[in-house]
Amino acid sequence: MTSTLEHVAHTEAPQGGGLARRQNIFTGFLGGVVFGWASWAIAHHVLDQSSRNFSDMVVLFLTFGWTVGFWLGIGALNGPGRWLIGRDHTRADDLYYAGENQGVKRYWKFCTDHKVVGVQYIVMTAVLLGAGGILAMAIRTELIVPGNHFVDQQVYNGFIAVHGMLMILALIVAVAGPWGNFVVPIMCGARDMAFPRLNALSLWTLVAAAGLLLTVLGVGSLTMGWVVLAPIADQAGIGMDFFAMAIIVFTVSTTVAGVNTICTVMTMRTKGMTLARLPIMVWSAIIAAALGLYAFPYFSLVEAQTLMDRVFNTSFFIASGGGTGWLQANLFWLMGHPEVYVILIPAVGALFEIASVMARKPVFSYRTAIAGMAGLAGLSMLVWAHHMFTTGWAPNLGGPFMLTTELISLPTGLFFLVIVGTLWRGNIWMKLPTVWLFGFIFNFIIAGVTGIYLSDIPIDNQLHGTMFVTAHFHYVFVGSVLFGAIAALCFWYPKVTGRYLDETMGRISFWLVFIGVQVTFGAMFISGMRGMPRRYSSYALLFEHTNFITTIGAYMIMAGMLVLLAAVVRCWSHGEASGPNPWQANSLEWLVPTPPPLENFDVLPVITEDPYNYGKELVRS
Amino acid sequence: MTDNKNKQSLKGMYWTWFVLTVIGVLISVWVPSYLMPKSMSDSMHLSILTIVIFSVAAAPVAAGVYAATLFALKHWVHKGEGVPEAAEPIRENNKVVAYWLIASTVLTVFLLIWGLGALAVDNGNTGNNPLVVNVTGQQWVWSFSYPGTSVESPTLVLPEGRTVVFHITSDDITHGFWIANMGVQVDANAGAITTLHVTPNALGNFNIRCTQFCGLNHAFMVTTGTVLSANDFNSWLQTQSQKA
Amino acid sequence: MSIDTHAEHDAHGGHDGGHHEPPEVVDGRQRMAIWLFIGGDIITTAALLFTYLYLRGVNTGGHWMSMLGYPGPQMAGGHTYAWYQNAASLADPTNVMVGKLAAGLNWTVTLLTVLSALIIWGAEKALRSSKNAKNYSMTCWVAVLVTVVAIVLSFKQLQSIPQIYVAVNDSQTMSYTTYDSSMMVIIGSAVVHLFLLAFLGVGLAIRSARGVINGDKWYQARLVRLFWVWVGVSAIVVSATTTFINVVH
Repeated sequence: MTSTLEHVAHTEAPQGGGLARRQNIFTGFLGGVVFGWASWAIAHHVLDQSSRNFSDMVVLFLTFGWTVGFWLGIGALNGPGRWLIGRDHTRADDLYYAGENQGVKRYWKFCTDHKVVGVQYIVMTAVLLGAGGILAMAIRTELIVPGNHFVDQQVYNGFIAVHGMLMILALIVAVAGPWGNFVVPIMCGARDMAFPRLNALSLWTLVAAAGLLLTVLGVGSLTMGWVVLAPIADQAGIGMDFFAMAIIVFTVSTTVAGVNTICTVMTMRTKGMTLARLPIMVWSAIIAAALGLYAFPYFSLVEAQTLMDRVFNTSFFIASGGGTGWLQANLFWLMGHPEVYVILIPAVGALFEIASVMARKPVFSYRTAIAGMAGLAGLSMLVWAHHMFTTGWAPNLGGPFMLTTELISLPTGLFFLVIVGTLWRGNIWMKLPTVWLFGFIFNFIIAGVTGIYLSDIPIDNQLHGTMFVTAHFHYVFVGSVLFGAIAALCFWYPKVTGRYLDETMGRISFWLVFIGVQVTFGAMFISGMRGMPRRYSSYALLFEHTNFITTIGAYMIMAGMLVLLAAVVRCWSHGEASGPNPWQANSLEWLVPTPPPLENFDVLPVITEDPYNYGKELVRS
Repeated sequence: MTDNKNKQSLKGMYWTWFVLTVIGVLISVWVPSYLMPKSMSDSMHLSILTIVIFSVAAAPVAAGVYAATLFALKHWVHKGEGVPEAAEPIRENNKVVAYWLIASTVLTVFLLIWGLGALAVDNGNTGNNPLVVNVTGQQWVWSFSYPGTSVESPTLVLPEGRTVVFHITSDDITHGFWIANMGVQVDANAGAITTLHVTPNALGNFNIRCTQFCGLNHAFMVTTGTVLSANDFNSWLQTQSQKA
Repeated sequence: MSIDTHAEHDAHGGHDGGHHEPPEVVDGRQRMAIWLFIGGDIITTAALLFTYLYLRGVNTGGHWMSMLGYPGPQMAGGHTYAWYQNAASLADPTNVMVGKLAAGLNWTVTLLTVLSALIIWGAEKALRSSKNAKNYSMTCWVAVLVTVVAIVLSFKQLQSIPQIYVAVNDSQTMSYTTYDSSMMVIIGSAVVHLFLLAFLGVGLAIRSARGVINGDKWYQARLVRLFWVWVGVSAIVVSATTTFINVVH
């Protein structure tokens, strides 16, 4: 990566004009394809073609070339290049990169305006959810009846891995991406993120990673599930190399985004915006960012090791050379469990915010809410081995990890207390965000209770590796996080577009998805309890009915999501106008015009109290 | 309006809570043993019992949240057009937070103690005359051998009432050895031996399925087993030895 | 949220409502970012050491430093891959032991890394006291040179990791034991860091030569130094671990 940073300095026009001003997503793709192809060609020249690992090595070259070429083409490396040669951006350059006076064109560019990045994240989330959702439909269609042959078995196995990883990426960015970028800086009273160029870098790096991940579908043959199980990953085809590189590139994106979020909140708050006056959403954003910083290094390391086992013949996970799959499991879950809360915490933070605004009441026990999120983040670092209860690794540690895992129910319990406490005796305004909030409460209880079963080793010994686990974490990710993300979308959509999301279409979507989730994953719980393992491409007659029901439910979810998508697209230009502050909320993002101007504030506001005093005369700037 | 709310009776919520708790407890007691595979060992029995106990313990909490939410939907939703007026702010209520924390701590400690106790029972000693069975997974079959004899079998035959110790390994990649009727599972790893022990306590057939994704035919890496009486088992072992 | 618009609102300095921030404020923010990146890097280093120590601990099949096969090309008296492929009558594979990597070379790279960090640190101190940007630029080039030597030696070290020729399931390949694998990922990570340092060093040298960094504007020199010193510290920690804890007894 570093060597190419040096490279760019000599090839790219350093002045803000000329070449650098023509860069956009198309030159990005062009750069990626050209560099990827060039690396592919170079690999064929310099490598030993008789080597067993030749094709894996070629993919390593190709993916590296794609990523660097994409960065070059989109203009992500202009900043580092100009730093290197001592010709820093002028204010005019910065404004150009922030997309000043560039209209809709700026959405197709390496644009540093946090609001543009936020919108780009909305689109990326939709793309990832859409691709993952199509795979989910293929998986469920294959499973609609036993012995179905809708897709080839090998292809099916690949779908399982890619569906999982796409959805994980989608949900990691679903709240923190759009709203962590669009609203969090305004909530703090900042003109932009702390490092606008890093902000754009994180978004376009995600695009590069998504490109690699979607390529996997074209080259196929994955055999290791989304957790990149080893040593079976060693058997997979070259799709595995794309997969691992996609993850490594993705961790660059999240690390950069995490640092940026924390620095923004810690150093860019406007005068009077003390930590105790921050909207709770901002707290959730920095707690999740900090947790991501802790977790994702494990992710890139474990994927690097998987790649090295395949490309360089190392033996990290291969028993004949002294390795063990338990190392992969440890490193993966050291990342994997904190990552669940990197996903969950921003969604919960957004729901706290929504509950307060919609019930016209302050967040109940603000300190408890923060303590719950921080406690959850802290505990999550100590629970990873509960994913390994049945792997045979360190059976003596079962007790301690059971203890830490069950302690998780304390901070998650506090979330319910805060949300119910906030709604308590409120004047609840039943708009779209509120509807999804109630859906979240219903689903998150089910997710939590079934989580308690799995934390207990005697139960886990029976249910681990079954559809019960799949249903449990889908209640977490779909039932809870996705509901939170959609609530956040409905809530802040008017701020982005100046228009409401259509109430009728939104409610149709809600009922389809809500009922769909109960049907799909309710039936899946039953499949699991009756003994159907996960990741099955076919199953015994015993599981026939519940799988059929699950598939029907999944179609309902898809229908609901399509209605939502239609509403989002349609209302962007045709929705009912909302004005700058449709929910009569007090946090800063609602007090700036809609859409917020470049740099958000003419004059930075001075804050004298937190945003939860409803009904008082507001002093506007 | 705010005044009315503060005087408002919460009776309805308590009743809802009570009814939902009763429903939850009934479901908890009935559903697991109905849905889960036939229990053929103490471990399986313990798994099912623990699910029941945990569900019963969780029922009042879940019912409490649902009852409060339903009550809110019924009584506190703003009716009419326009922005609702501000509600009376409740910023802190240390008592409620403290009660909630105490209650959830007590529940968690109960779950922990029960869980650790159950784990200890599950891990209990293997008796003085355990039967050792070697289990080997490979893509995509299981094979079982009985040390001290020449018997190798693609299906698992076990005696009733005698503790069986499994020594499990894999010839290639990681598999998951799970006896679906006995509540025990552990991974089969290449280059390592994992152990498991269980005491079958009912005669009949059971299912073995792979729970760790193992490639193309993962879904078909299944086999069956039988629990025989001690005498039948011994004669089975003898016949098999002669065959081999 | 109540906003007192009549209060003094040029809180962040400047008369344009805070569009321009003073360099100290920007520097504080950037230092926080550097510390956060270092924090992430500490996790990476910890994970590398975890990998190393864990694999040594499990020592699957006693293969931490040995493997069933034939001596690889880098072993004393070993042969090339092709030699083994062509040899028709190979003896049965035996447990081939590999030795520890040369601690001397390892420590040479480590000390060079530390040396470059000290040079950068000293240069920064001199810049801040004597305000001589030209000297600073020259010293940065020296640090870069030291880093480049460390990179070259690291590649030499990577090349010297012994491979073993194994034949598994009819496929023949060169392979590394877990000790060698761990060393490879550790040295590889060091190389990535060294490349990054070289880039940053070149940047400092050019920028100070152009006067963007000078005796009054030295903040970026400190930012880079913070990261550089951390890389030096991590090199010592990792080398100490791999030098003193390696053989399984």
